[in-house]
Amino acid sequence: MKRFYTIIFSLLITAGYSQTLTDGLMMPKKSICTGFLYNVDQWKNYWEGTLKRDNQNIGTVTTQSITWMGSYGLTDRINLIAMVPYVSTKASGGTLHGQQGVQDLTVGGKYRFFQQQLGAGTFKTFVVGTFSTPLTNYTPDFFPLSLGFASTNVAARFTANYVIEKGFYVNASTGYTMRSNVALDRPSYYTNNTFYETNQVKMPNVFDYLIDLGYHKKALQVVLTYMQQNTMGGGDIRRQDMPFVSNQMNVSKVQGLVMYYLPKPKGLAVRASGAYVITGRNVGQTTSLMGGLLYTFNFSKEQ
Amino acid sequence: MKQMKFYITLSFFAVLSVLAACNKDVSFEESLKPLQPSKVDITAGSWKLVFMTSTTQVPLAAPLPVTDPTYQAELATIKDTQSKLNKTQRSAIEYWSGGGILRWNQILRELVARHNLPPAPRDDGSYPVPDSENPFADPQFPFANPPYAARAYSYVSVAQYDAMKVAWYYKYLYNRPAPYTNDGNVQALVPKTDLPSYPSEDAVMSGVTAELLKALFPADIEEITLKAGEQRNAALWSGKASATDISAGLALGKSIAALFIARAGGDGMKNAIGNKAQWQQLSDNATSRGETAWVSLDSPARPPMLPFFGAVKAWMMTPVQIVSERPLPPPSTSSAEMKDQVTEVKYYADNMTRERIAIVHKWADGAGTYTPPGHWNDIAAEYIRDANFSEVRAARAYALLNMALHDAAVGCWESKYFYFNPRPTQLDASIKTGTGIPNFPAYTSGHSTFSGSAATVLSYLFPEAATYFNGQAKEASDSRLFGAIHYRADIEMGLLHGQRIGSYTVNFAAGDGAGN
Repeated sequence: MKRFYTIIFSLLITAGYSQTLTDGLMMPKKSICTGFLYNVDQWKNYWEGTLKRDNQNIGTVTTQSITWMGSYGLTDRINLIAMVPYVSTKASGGTLHGQQGVQDLTVGGKYRFFQQQLGAGTFKTFVVGTFSTPLTNYTPDFFPLSLGFASTNVAARFTANYVIEKGFYVNASTGYTMRSNVALDRPSYYTNNTFYETNQVKMPNVFDYLIDLGYHKKALQVVLTYMQQNTMGGGDIRRQDMPFVSNQMNVSKVQGLVMYYLPKPKGLAVRASGAYVITGRNVGQTTSLMGGLLYTFNFSKEQ
Repeated sequence: MKQMKFYITLSFFAVLSVLAACNKDVSFEESLKPLQPSKVDITAGSWKLVFMTSTTQVPLAAPLPVTDPTYQAELATIKDTQSKLNKTQRSAIEYWSGGGILRWNQILRELVARHNLPPAPRDDGSYPVPDSENPFADPQFPFANPPYAARAYSYVSVAQYDAMKVAWYYKYLYNRPAPYTNDGNVQALVPKTDLPSYPSEDAVMSGVTAELLKALFPADIEEITLKAGEQRNAALWSGKASATDISAGLALGKSIAALFIARAGGDGMKNAIGNKAQWQQLSDNATSRGETAWVSLDSPARPPMLPFFGAVKAWMMTPVQIVSERPLPPPSTSSAEMKDQVTEVKYYADNMTRERIAIVHKWADGAGTYTPPGHWNDIAAEYIRDANFSEVRAARAYALLNMALHDAAVGCWESKYFYFNPRPTQLDASIKTGTGIPNFPAYTSGHSTFSGSAATVLSYLFPEAATYFNGQAKEASDSRLFGAIHYRADIEMGLLHGQRIGSYTVNFAAGDGAGN
């Protein structure tokens, strides 16, 4: 126990920043960044297929989550990342009961396989592999109030990043997520113009890409992101029907993010972001706000 | 370090390739083996008819003798077709060989699920009414809600059942053997039986079913027509029926359908929606008895679902019997007993375990699904399949089941709108539900009534599985309390009421001459 405290207090603070699976940053070797993020999503309007509408029987849907996340620098070029959210949903209109519980565990590895000086800056490329699976037996058959999709996923991602010396950078990332089938509690369902006499639902895979414009110098990181995510198949929500887990859910989103390492205590960073869905299909027009605290430790002996 | 990197990369790609190799395809149809009936039911032509007045109500002329050149030419055509069957034709034969009654029931469940969507509200908060004359519009016609669906399943099943008995009557009256029996060079691409082929039972079934489905689901006319044509072609290509077996069957089936469509036109369904003044009257009736009257919990408030469906003609019960079987009144909305019932619902709303949520979802059968009657047709399907029933006996099983389900809908709706009892959430707005609140009064539970009647009939047909059917009915009934949309009084009385209603059909079945 005593030894544990010694480790904690002797930790040195690094300037590591890698927090996400999509950015172009890495945690240095033997450092850990961990913390909690609180997120709230809200939407009132949604797209029933391509028709934008509201629905008084749902009102405004609010999804709150608290996510634990951690990333670890296995080497300077390989980072491991994990996260687990606790999710709570509710609808302001109608009578449907919200849901809450632990959602999916995501673990991933990020590998910087290329880095080179290029003109005034540095060009880097990364591959990321992630695996996620539900930690609880929540139902995916209660959209829009389900905790998640309940599929087990593997995803591959490629990221390219160019930083110029002054701290400005541009980052582009694209990913492909393969999703396992999911099981419903009922023996049949109707989607995508087909009646299925089974509880098994084939989940179409998901393709996404994003572009970040960022500034990152010393303790401050500021990022603007445009993101597009498309489900590669699946049906539309029918007129006046409920959403369904395998719907073709497409989203175009913009996001702004700020992260700042406080002068004191050393290693503690605040992170805040806001996002807005510009357009979509079979999804809500979500406004998201996120705030979190992250703490960085360094176990490296050399320091 | 390099090694570790290598292993990480390796394991990542290993996981990726395993997942990529998975076949995620989901088969969506029930799998059916080629039907080989355990008996052909030679006497079915004398079984009691449900609605038709006699087996000869629609006349059918005798066929030409099998020695006639016209018939011989028909056989030659079959042989020629069989010599060059393509993949599509073979898969059509395979599809329909599973049993036409089972296939059409599956198609019907799909049509119900496709059309079981309520109209979306207009901007001014009012609701449009689906129009059978304009079925492709928004809202589409029909809104295949549970009573609509129960009635649809019953019309199709009863018409098929009467039509099969008539077909069997003529088959054994004229005794024309099947092409594969008449000519050794005609292949039997489906299991052979001794059933005479004039008129073709497949053609009779395609005619009677398609005509009814087109009336019930007019927006799907193309799909229905194609399926019906495919069934007749499959009968021809498989060596089971000749061209005249089929044309005679089709004409017979369509004429029988016309009798049922005429009945449907006058069964009271046209008046089941009612008008604003009538809806108000229902509310006033409850208020005048000192009760809190039901209000719609949809936003914006939606007109009640088919409030006069309780006056639609039943199959096995007279209007007097529908009223005399009406459940005793529920606890008064102002009573202490009702308060206790609300408290119990509130408990389930606030304590939704994963196990109970699974039960609620299993039986939700709400918007966009085949409805509770469809769920019971689904349950029945595998028992009918595994029993290797002849088509006429399979038709009987579905007709009995669906008459009971339809009568349950009539009896339950009569009770719901007679008492006009509010839903739990209306009495305590803090009750949040595990599934959508249906837009009609609470007492008694439709799920419970449907399930009670269905389990009673299926237990008669398949007594070895009675415990299972009754267990499923109880679970379906409980699901409505677990989902916090019904009181205990609704589900318990509904189940009993359904069992009573089912017994009328069982009484008919016991004396219909089919044996069991």
